[in-house]
Amino acid sequence: MTPLLRLALKDLWFERHLAVCRLLAMVAVLTPLLVLLGLKAGIITSLTERLLRDPLNLELVIPGNISLDDAALAALRQQSGVGFMIPRSRSLAATVDLSHNGAALTGTEMIPTAVGDPLLDNLAPPTTPQQVLISQTAAQRLKAAVGDTVTAVVSRRINNTAQAARQTLTIAGIVPETRFARDGLFVHPDLLSATEDYRDGKTEDLSTPLPGPRRYAGVRLFAKGLDEVAPLAEQLRAMGYEVRTRAAEIATVQSLDRVLTFLFAVIAGLAGLGYALSLAAGLWADVDRKRKELALLRLLGLSRASVIRFPMVQSLVLALLGSGVSLGLYFALAALFNRVLADGLARDEFVCRLLPQHMGGAVVLTLAVAVLASVLGGYHIARIDPADSLRDL
Amino acid sequence: MTTTAAVLDIRDLTATRGRFGMSLPHLRLDPGQVLAVTGPSGCGKSTLLDVLGLVLRPHRASTFTLLNRPILPLWQTQHADPLAPLRARHLGYVLQTGGLLPFLSVADNIRLSLEISGQADPDNLFNHLTQTLGLTRLLSLAPAALSIGERQRVAIARALIHRPAMVLADEPTAALDPAAAQTVMELFLTLARDLTITTVVVCHDWDLVARHGLVRLQAQLETTKNGTARTTFVPEGRS
Repeated sequence: MTPLLRLALKDLWFERHLAVCRLLAMVAVLTPLLVLLGLKAGIITSLTERLLRDPLNLELVIPGNISLDDAALAALRQQSGVGFMIPRSRSLAATVDLSHNGAALTGTEMIPTAVGDPLLDNLAPPTTPQQVLISQTAAQRLKAAVGDTVTAVVSRRINNTAQAARQTLTIAGIVPETRFARDGLFVHPDLLSATEDYRDGKTEDLSTPLPGPRRYAGVRLFAKGLDEVAPLAEQLRAMGYEVRTRAAEIATVQSLDRVLTFLFAVIAGLAGLGYALSLAAGLWADVDRKRKELALLRLLGLSRASVIRFPMVQSLVLALLGSGVSLGLYFALAALFNRVLADGLARDEFVCRLLPQHMGGAVVLTLAVAVLASVLGGYHIARIDPADSLRDL
Repeated sequence: MTTTAAVLDIRDLTATRGRFGMSLPHLRLDPGQVLAVTGPSGCGKSTLLDVLGLVLRPHRASTFTLLNRPILPLWQTQHADPLAPLRARHLGYVLQTGGLLPFLSVADNIRLSLEISGQADPDNLFNHLTQTLGLTRLLSLAPAALSIGERQRVAIARALIHRPAMVLADEPTAALDPAAAQTVMELFLTLARDLTITTVVVCHDWDLVARHGLVRLQAQLETTKNGTARTTFVPEGRS
C-alpha cells in the first residue's frame, strides 16, 4: 500500500462519522435512481415480453392470393429482418375435413410449418407429410391426443363429379391455445402442396405433390424481433406488397420506452449533476479544513501529484462503498415492489429489474462522478503552499 | 588539513515573501553543527526557514547547495516536483506546536518520515528515540490525547528518525513552560548532536544559546524608504 493510499484511508477512518454522512448523501441519490432505472427497465421488459409472448405480433401478413415463384420467394427471404418464412398455397385449397373416433371437423385450416416457426414454441414440426400438429381447440373437438391418428378428407368436383381423397395423419403434437387460438392443422409443406394439386385435379391422391417448380399464393412471414417488424414491413411495401402488421401495438411500447428513457435520463442527469456539485463542494471545503495537514504532507516530502490524489482516493472509496450500499438497498426495494405488485404479473415478469450491465454501468458512472468531483478538490490542493505548515501549525 | 563537505552552503542569497525581504550574505553549515537563529518577532526568521526548508524559492543566490547539490536549478523545473524527494530524504522539521497529523497514532506520526522517504529503520532508531524522549507509553495514542510538550517530543522524534542531513526547528519550545522547554530543547539538541544531524533552530532563549555554545545567526532589521522591511542575517561576530 502506498503512503498516500494508507494516509487517505486512515484519515477517512479517523473522520468516519463525516464519511458516513457523505455515504448517506450518496446513497440517498443513487438508490432512488437505481430503483427508477429498475422500474423503467422492468416495466418495459415486461411489456416487450408480453408482446413477444404472442408471436403473431412478429407476423407480417401479405393478404389475399398472389403469385410467387422461387425467385420472388428468394427475394423475400433475403430481406434483412426476416426471422421465419414459408410459402403457402391458396387459402381455399388449404382446408381439410377431419374425423376421429366419430367426431368430425370440417373446413379445418391447414398451415404450412417448418423448423423455426414462431407459432410452434418448443414443438418439433412434422418431419413427413403424414405427420401433423393440431391446434388445441381442434384437438378438443376431435377428442384427439398426441399419437392418435385422424382421417383427413379432401373433396373436389371434377366434371360435375364429386370426388374425395383420404389420408391418415398422425398427431405429433398439440399447439397450445396461447400460440394459435382457433382450429388449425400445422402440416408439412408437401402435404399442403399435394392437397392443392389434388384440388386442382392434377393428382389422384394426397401422397405427394407434383414434382418441379411451382407457384405459391402467399407466404407466412415473421420478423426476427419486434424492432424489425416496422422496417421489414416498409421494405416489403417498397417491393410492391401489401402488408399488415401489429406495428401500432409495438410502436406504443417502443414509444413508452423512449419517453421513460428520456424522463429517466433527465432525472438521472439532474440528480447526478447535483450530486457531483455537492460532492465537489464538500471536497473543496474538506481541502480548506485540512489545508494545514495537506501542507504538512507536502513539507514532509509527498509530491504535489501524490497529495492531489488524496481527495480522489477518499472519494473513490466512498463511491465504491456508496454503490455497494445502494445496490443492496435496491435489491431489497426491488424484491418488495415485485412482491407487492405480483398480482398483475405473469410468473416470469418483474416490475423492477436491473440487468448486470445496468448495475455495472451505474457503479462505473458513480466512480466517474466521484473522480470528476475530486479533480476540483485536487486543483485546490495543488495551490497549497507547503510553507503554510511551517507558519500556522 | 582536510575539509568536510558542507551540509549547507549559501552565498549572497536574497528572498522575498510579500512585502518582506531578507538577505543572507553567507552561511555554511557542517554535519552535526547547530545554528541558532535569533531576532525579534516579525524579523523574517520563518522566511529564512522557508528558504532553508526548500519551500520558498529564493530570489537570487550566487551559491545554494544542500549536500553539494545545487538547489536553484531545481526551482526552475516547472512540471516535476524535484524538491519533494529532497525534503523527504534530507530534511526534518520541528514546528512550533508539533504539526502532527491528527488521524495517525503517535507511532505512525513518528514513522511518517520513514514512510514518505521510503526508508527502513535497520538500527531501530525508533526504539532509541521513543525511549530517550519518553514516548513509549504514548505510542498508540492520538495526538489529541497528548500535552503540548508530548507533541513536541513526538515531532522531534519524527524529524530525526530518518536521519536527515539537516533539521529545521521553528521555536520548538515556544508553547511550553520554561522548565519543560529546557528539558525538551536539551533532549532535542543532544539527540541531534549524537546523530550528527545539522540543526537550525529559531529561538529566543539566550541562556540556551550560551549554555550549548551555539553559533548564532543574528537578524538585523532595516526599513527602506518605501516602507518595506528587509532583514539581513549575519553570523555571530560579524556585522
